[in-house]
Amino acid sequence: MMLTALLLVIQVAAQDPRLERLDPETRSLVVSVVDSVRAVGLPTEPIVQRALEGATKGASGARIVAAVRRLATDLGTARSALGPRTSAPELEAGVAALRAGVSPEVLTGLRDARRPPLTMALAVLADLVVSGVPADSASAVVLALAPTARDADLVEFRKAVERDISLGAPPGAAAGVRALNTGIRGNSDATSGQPPSRPPSRP
Amino acid sequence: MFDRDDDIVERVVRQLRQPVSIDPALDARVLKQIADGPARPVAAPRSRFQWRRWPWLAAAAVLGAILVARPWTAGNNTAASSAFQFVLVAPQASTVALVGDFNDWDPARSPMQTAQGVWATTVPLAPGRYRYAFLVNGVEWRADPGAPRVRDDEFGTPSSVITVGGNGS
Repeated sequence: MMLTALLLVIQVAAQDPRLERLDPETRSLVVSVVDSVRAVGLPTEPIVQRALEGATKGASGARIVAAVRRLATDLGTARSALGPRTSAPELEAGVAALRAGVSPEVLTGLRDARRPPLTMALAVLADLVVSGVPADSASAVVLALAPTARDADLVEFRKAVERDISLGAPPGAAAGVRALNTGIRGNSDATSGQPPSRPPSRP
Repeated sequence: MFDRDDDIVERVVRQLRQPVSIDPALDARVLKQIADGPARPVAAPRSRFQWRRWPWLAAAAVLGAILVARPWTAGNNTAASSAFQFVLVAPQASTVALVGDFNDWDPARSPMQTAQGVWATTVPLAPGRYRYAFLVNGVEWRADPGAPRVRDDEFGTPSSVITVGGNGS
């Protein structure tokens, strides 16, 4: 009985108070997902935030639970592709890229081509695909820029492509043309201000 | 330099080797106090009650550790954060709130101020990728027209995304 009481105290204390915004049944299911994610060493904060997003937006419990379960699965897939020491922001950006249609192999290639953190490179890749650039083209471009381009260069690249698309350019062509210019600049260490690439420090 | 160090060491050793003078009456005083003092047991006998108290003490310790560590706030690390301004043009709106992964999707946390229909607020963001949206008049969800949209709007309303790089870019 004492042990049961002890376990109960620990469980209640460990439960995230923010999840009290969920109804009891949904909260219980979300907590079980959070516990599962924590048990395998994945970040729990994205799960909590997705559940809170659903609660604030008035989504049904079933929809919230489905969303957090899917996110938990995708976080696992992203970690498999990016490696066990990937940070939480990188995993979240990796999930966004995967959901946009980028393959796990491209994520692994990006990890091998660029020094961490990969958050911005993954985010730019995801955002390009969401903007309409075909996943294959966006992957090829970002992989080519990854070894030398700075985060700010990648953001500028994305903005330029989105600007061209808004002006009527076909997304794939916009990315290709912009890559040609940025790629030339990005491959020159003197102009990019980025030190020469070296093997990433993570597996 | 080493010679000087050796000198210092030698002096310290010499000082430590000096005999320490102790009051000859000390032993007698200590023995007298022991003889006069009340008899105290070396250790109190263990009661059954005390033996059963350990689970509660353990629970209290765990609870305290959790409350101090507050693992549920691990994602709200504001270290190395940069300030980002969010703007929405909504001349007809009476209230606009910014909600997202950075404020637990709580409309009360980031209310926006207006100047002639331009609503704005500034939020500190640590490196990461955040989903967010504007809540207009408490009922209408709007994405940020100046930011990438989230493709997987799993809850049926639009959201945007902002990515903060390691250098705040």
